[in-house]
Amino acid sequence: MIETIEPGGADLEPLLSLQAITKRFGNFAALSDVSLDLRPGEIHCILGENGAGKSTLCNVIFGVHRPDAGAMRYRGAAFQPSGPADSLSQGIAMVHQHFSLVPDMTVVDNVLLGRERGVLNRKDCAKQLEKLAIDYGLPLDPYAKIEDISVGERQRVEIVKCLIRDPSLFVLDEPTAVLLPDEISALLDVCRRVASSGRAVVLVTHKLAEIKKIADRVTVLRGGRVVASSATPASDIDRLVRAMIQGNVEALDTSAASILGIESVKHVSHDRAANVTKTEALQISGLTVKDYQGVTRLDNFTLTVDRGEIVGVAGVEGNGQSELTAVLAGMSLPTEGRIHLGDTELTARSPKEITAAGVGIVPEDRHAVGCVTGMSLAENIYLNRLDEFTRFGFLRRTSLESEAAEMMQRFDVRARGPGVVFSSLSGGNQQKAVLAREITLPGLVCLVAAQPTRGLDVGAVAAVYSHIRAACARGVAILLVSSELDELLTVADRIVVLYRGRIMGSCVADPARREQIGAMMAGQAQ
Amino acid sequence: MTALDSGHPSAAARFVIRPALLVPLLAVVFAALVGLLLIASIGVSVPSAIAAFVDGTIGSPYAIAASINRSIAFGLVGFGFVLANRANLTNVGGEGQIAVGGIVATAVALYGHVSALPLGLPFILPMLAAVVAGAAWGALAAVMKVKAGTNEVISTLLLSFIGVWLLYWCVQSPALLRKPMTTSATLPESLEIPEATQLPLLTGDYSFPLHIGLPITIVIAVVVAVLLSKTVLGLRLRAVGLNPVAANRAGISYARTVIFALASAGALGGLAGAFMLLGEQYTLKDGFSSGYGFDGLVAGLLARGSVTGVVAASLLFGFMRSGGINMEMVAAVPTALVVVIQGLIVITLAGATLFIEKWERQ
Repeated sequence: MIETIEPGGADLEPLLSLQAITKRFGNFAALSDVSLDLRPGEIHCILGENGAGKSTLCNVIFGVHRPDAGAMRYRGAAFQPSGPADSLSQGIAMVHQHFSLVPDMTVVDNVLLGRERGVLNRKDCAKQLEKLAIDYGLPLDPYAKIEDISVGERQRVEIVKCLIRDPSLFVLDEPTAVLLPDEISALLDVCRRVASSGRAVVLVTHKLAEIKKIADRVTVLRGGRVVASSATPASDIDRLVRAMIQGNVEALDTSAASILGIESVKHVSHDRAANVTKTEALQISGLTVKDYQGVTRLDNFTLTVDRGEIVGVAGVEGNGQSELTAVLAGMSLPTEGRIHLGDTELTARSPKEITAAGVGIVPEDRHAVGCVTGMSLAENIYLNRLDEFTRFGFLRRTSLESEAAEMMQRFDVRARGPGVVFSSLSGGNQQKAVLAREITLPGLVCLVAAQPTRGLDVGAVAAVYSHIRAACARGVAILLVSSELDELLTVADRIVVLYRGRIMGSCVADPARREQIGAMMAGQAQ
Repeated sequence: MTALDSGHPSAAARFVIRPALLVPLLAVVFAALVGLLLIASIGVSVPSAIAAFVDGTIGSPYAIAASINRSIAFGLVGFGFVLANRANLTNVGGEGQIAVGGIVATAVALYGHVSALPLGLPFILPMLAAVVAGAAWGALAAVMKVKAGTNEVISTLLLSFIGVWLLYWCVQSPALLRKPMTTSATLPESLEIPEATQLPLLTGDYSFPLHIGLPITIVIAVVVAVLLSKTVLGLRLRAVGLNPVAANRAGISYARTVIFALASAGALGGLAGAFMLLGEQYTLKDGFSSGYGFDGLVAGLLARGSVTGVVAASLLFGFMRSGGINMEMVAAVPTALVVVIQGLIVITLAGATLFIEKWERQ
């Protein structure tokens, strides 16, 4: 890694400084009294859990939100962007958490989108792309279609889209969430190069490993306030983590800690239920899914999960995981293959039948599949068991809500009450509620959890895993689909790796096999 | 679509009770004032227009009853709209559902040999037949949506045209419902239905022709309101409306819910047709449904998901329509202008609702 040379230095005039910025949404203060300086040539990491105000902060800088109080100074002058277009024209560029590319268009067209009027000068743009590729190490085929390139390459396009405007301030909002280990270090290298060309880089993250590796300066947000900052992050990491989670690191669940990068990854053995004999619960054989265009998305997938076992499915997103979980959930039909739960055939059954057979599903897309955000928390917790709360067709709302309140306590779902609308909950609490619903299914035999900790903060991650482990100890078979390899290495017993819809290989979940698994994720056979 | 998506049951109910009631009232007054200006501008005497309007709405027991009977038809279609809209379905087929309801009610009343039956069956059977026909008409759109993904706005609208032209055919063809042609001047309409099949009047007096459709409609209003807010079925409709994928995952059948919702809306439209025929018109004519389905749709839209809202809007429209017709007949205000004023009221009311929502959010 590049040694940190004191960049800029504290004496240098900050490029952008935020002075006591406050941003409220209704009564909720997303940011209170936030002050920080961004200097040219430095990588400034913003660290914080979900809901700490990181994205709001980026959006204030980028002109999406206007602060309610406080001021910003940019290049020594007062700065009040009227919107993203204004910020962009003044040299502030941002890579958002979610990609905003048109999949059907080429790289060069995506880069040109919104920049030029009239005639498109593709050749010039391609030349510029080439130059950027050399300067920053961002190789791209300008004429490839977005839908044909990998996630890591797509992100490069997003970065190039910003760099081509030659920004002085470059903001990246959680850019590493979807990347392969190799791609992450490549991205960090790019950040370093951008910074060393004299620009200020803001990197939003909640992964400490990245901070250790690259940050020149760190500001920690919690509850919308700056709770800590450091100009020597590598040596201050414990203090920063404590500030971020407001507690002590030792008390953290080991798996949560290793996912965050606080500890090196180690496998946490869970108590296998002693009285559960090793019996096959979920058997998937030869499962093949072709999409409507006839493209094979899942190819001859065969896997058995025993009772009391956690099997992890690793792989970069988009390699068949969604298809696998959709078929297991009864949301789409397999082209070929069969699914059994014990002696019961579950191939092509309806979601209702699958639930009745004792399969709980935590879907990867919580909002689209897992819950109805416009309905109340209680209604969502019992969405698949509403019939248990009826008398002559009437809903017994009091008992629904009191049972839901019990569930909230058991699963530590924090909300004002069971009657609040689901969309008002934080992501972590929403996920805990969905998990609560699926894991408390009467007669649960098997739990399929897809990306169950995505976007969750440390506390929630730990809670999700302790519930999954508890279910496993009760003899539930667990299929855990995740794109976070560290997560699988700590939690699962066995890992299979998906690549382009096929199982590239499988092995025990041993952190020592990390590289081998990483290679399989990238498509190299064992 | 936001105007259609007021999923929360209490939202509109709240707005009825709050002082915010003032705003819609002002909106109506404003629209009326603009209407009067328009009337004055075409040279019709404003006082005589107002007199004609009042006369047509509350000027006589007959006018009041006729207005309420109109409101009943609007209300039934409106309840159906709100019910289907809870599942995020937009039923714009009220007009056709009224038409098929009217056709079937006429057919059963005239040729179903029901006149001699006891216990009110002579009018109950045609009514039920109309309900079933309307439900089938609505369910047809639902099945198309479930099986082929056809947008229900398109299918219910097109089915509406089919229903209306079916009615035209029925009253034109002697082989169907047209009364026997004795002379070339015989009008294209059905025979008058037998007295036994006509809906009993509440007072027994034709000068105040309120019929038992009114109490039935009140019961239906309560049932729909309770269904939407207190039952699991209402919750299922809402779940499917808000997130059909998640609802499906949770074991709530999309197909069944959609079919139930649109069939119910159709059934209520069919019932409205039966009431119009068995309670007021007694003969089936071309133009029988005369836009009631669309006025009911507007009542449902304006109510923004609330049953009380539908009641209020249907009463408003029912009386407006009666007054408008009288203005046209007595004061020679052109029909087009009456329609313009109605449209104005709809727009100002919709605007007022938006205004109130913004205001309440702050």
